[in-house]
Amino acid sequence: MFELLEDAGFTNVRTAVVPGFQFRKASTRNAAEAYGVKAVMITATKAEG
Amino acid sequence: MTGADQQASLEGVLKDEILRMYQEVADNPDAEFHFFHGREAAEMFGYDPEWLDRAPAGAVDSFAGVGNPHERAELKPGETVLDLGSGAGLDAIIASWLVGSEGRVIGVDLNPSMCHKAQANLAATGASMECHEGRMEDIPLPDASADVVISNGVVNLSFRKRRVAEEMFRVLKPAGRISITDIVSGRELSQSIVNDPKLWAA
Repeated sequence: MFELLEDAGFTNVRTAVVPGFQFRKASTRNAAEAYGVKAVMITATKAEG
Repeated sequence: MTGADQQASLEGVLKDEILRMYQEVADNPDAEFHFFHGREAAEMFGYDPEWLDRAPAGAVDSFAGVGNPHERAELKPGETVLDLGSGAGLDAIIASWLVGSEGRVIGVDLNPSMCHKAQANLAATGASMECHEGRMEDIPLPDASADVVISNGVVNLSFRKRRVAEEMFRVLKPAGRISITDIVSGRELSQSIVNDPKLWAA
């Protein structure tokens, strides 16, 4: 996602993990952990002019 | 079937699955899903309890985000905010409070009935929003029409994330910004997940 935003022209791309995010169901949670799935906050700006 | 045909077919099935799943959250907020939703999820992600008390129950109960895009959006009075995948409208309602009467909130959602629901929820707070039925890969707005794009747990649902990033860039004004929360994977998903719209929509 980071690269896609930069490729689109965004600058100052910042990411941070959303603390406390998890899936409710254990089976989904386990599968998500296996794939390194996490929730992130992403901010970026479109340069002026 | 060519690769492009196969992707178009999968996208069509995925669209139906996304519509079904999030309509179910809106229609049956007391049901149990594999993700946390409603007030429980919003509190988990740090939404101000005063916001949740003040917002219509219909917007809070159907909340299905994965974080809090307002935490870093720094919305200011008078700004125009696009909520991409506006759902039942909780994030749009909060945005409307932050940008005030001089500001403007625009929603885009795949599901026209969610647009109607979000607009009704905003109206219940005395605010209003435009809401357009549309896809995030083809945002139905002119170039340079928003100061800020917010989104919550939506971009990950697209097969064409590069296109979504380009569209967010297009609709932002110069010096505009995005504040989105979303799901990312540290590993490439297996083909069985990619080809299963139920898992992808999850």
